[in-house]
Amino acid sequence: MLEVSKLRRDFGGLTAVHDLTFKVEAGEIVGLIGPNGAGKTTTFSMLAGFIPPTSGDIVFQGKSILGLKPHQVCKLGVTRTFQIVQPFPDMTILENVMVGAYARYTGTVDARRKALEVLERVNLAHKANTLGKNLNLLELKRLEIGKALATEPSLLLLDEVAAGLKDAEVDNILVLVRQLNKEGITFLIVEHLMKVIMNLSHRVIVLDFGQMIAQGTPDEITKDPAVLEAYLGKEA
Amino acid sequence: MKPLLKNSSILLAVILLVALTLPLYAGEYYIHIGVMVLFYAYMAVAWNILGGYAGQHSLGHSLFMGIGAYTSTYLFSVMGITPWLGMWVGGALAGVMGLFVGYLCFRYGLKGPYFALVTIALAEAAVYIATNAEGIGGAQGLSVAWTGNAPEMMQFNGKGGYYYVILVMTVAAIVLSTWIIRRRFGYQLLAVRENEDAAEALGVDTLRVKVQASIISAMLTALGGTFFAQYFTYINPRNVFGEGPSIQILLFAIIGGLGTVWGPVVGALVLVPVAELSRGWLGGSFSGAHILLYGTVMVLVMLFMPNGIVGLYEKIRQRIQNRNEKSEVA
Repeated sequence: MLEVSKLRRDFGGLTAVHDLTFKVEAGEIVGLIGPNGAGKTTTFSMLAGFIPPTSGDIVFQGKSILGLKPHQVCKLGVTRTFQIVQPFPDMTILENVMVGAYARYTGTVDARRKALEVLERVNLAHKANTLGKNLNLLELKRLEIGKALATEPSLLLLDEVAAGLKDAEVDNILVLVRQLNKEGITFLIVEHLMKVIMNLSHRVIVLDFGQMIAQGTPDEITKDPAVLEAYLGKEA
Repeated sequence: MKPLLKNSSILLAVILLVALTLPLYAGEYYIHIGVMVLFYAYMAVAWNILGGYAGQHSLGHSLFMGIGAYTSTYLFSVMGITPWLGMWVGGALAGVMGLFVGYLCFRYGLKGPYFALVTIALAEAAVYIATNAEGIGGAQGLSVAWTGNAPEMMQFNGKGGYYYVILVMTVAAIVLSTWIIRRRFGYQLLAVRENEDAAEALGVDTLRVKVQASIISAMLTALGGTFFAQYFTYINPRNVFGEGPSIQILLFAIIGGLGTVWGPVVGALVLVPVAELSRGWLGGSFSGAHILLYGTVMVLVMLFMPNGIVGLYEKIRQRIQNRNEKSEVA
């Protein structure tokens, strides 16, 4: 479904992502982890069209999406969420989600119906008429997923949707993602919380200094010496 | 919710009725105030589509007003073409200018104060171009030739005719503005204003919708420019391209309530009479006092109603609604 080859991004003299190559198959949940500054969010931004790569290629469903703008990438079926939640503060929750739904539906009646449907899915239906600025963090995280869901993505890029949430709330999100995955949405997930990554991912890709240092099932990853070194440092 | 809706449609009907019948019983002076209220309401509604909905604050909308005023006046006074036609030519030219300004700025990601500065610069450039273009009257400006009471030339004996012209224009602009905000385009404009990156991530072509808003806003503003020229029968570079009209237009939108359908209208409805009446009452005895009063009202509104008059109304309405919901639960 998604093929990333030799993806590279330089910021001045710093190489944030260094010749990164990986694949995501349809139906998978792939976790992308790594220490701070490993290049996870930069990778996401490139995949979604927010930052142009310095070199390399991104192929989605057989076609290169290099050079496309975010809204074009979204129309093709790749939608991202943001690590720092980005609601539309002075619009209601329903309107927030409708903006996403308008990516697929031009009519307001259809967009509203789709948005209400999504609000049910993310447990925000009772907040439909609340303004974006009046939500708490859990609700904002749900809204972030809801807005993205409304665009009917085939590949959903989740950037730290569980960060800052309490345990029970994290569980809520896990259940939701697993359900959506069963319904056919493919996920690429950036996450610091190991609980999320280990529970959800079929496969995990580990980045360090912009390079892939390991990939495999969650179990394999936790035993990989390169991964342990990246996270815990070299054994003395 | 229901009774409130009913109340507001009754209120709307009453206002419309008063607006429709005003010239039948009001004197010329009050009709003039009515014309000014409607004119600024119209201009503020036009500005609001780009400035309020899309959140791109143009401080140089006089550029479009001037294009409208100069185009129709030139076509009328030099070539005898009726302003009814000329206003659309001006509107089309302004639309092209709106496309140019919008694309130029938004393509290169200009936002906030930077966009505002470019619009000021372009309007100011237009002042100097018009001042030095002898073909359109240079610094002297252009007078609109008087052809007697000729509705087909947008000229009327007395102010009543003008009043109805601008009333129709304003109602049409409000209808258009309401229509926009209730459909996809409107939602996308609001999303751009609220958070551009998030909008883009959700499939909104932010460049496209901003440029479209710029074009629509520019065209509407130009049509208002034609009306201005016809009503005052004289234009010069400073009074149509200058910073005066630019600032006034956006003041009404901001004071009334940015980004709402009714904000610009309410702003003009409250402020224009304050300005006009205080000038009438105080202008003779204490010169300058009316400007002081006008300024004071503006400062008070800014201080106590940061979201404009309509913003305050919405807040109160929400509070009442919340209280009702709570008492229903209890």
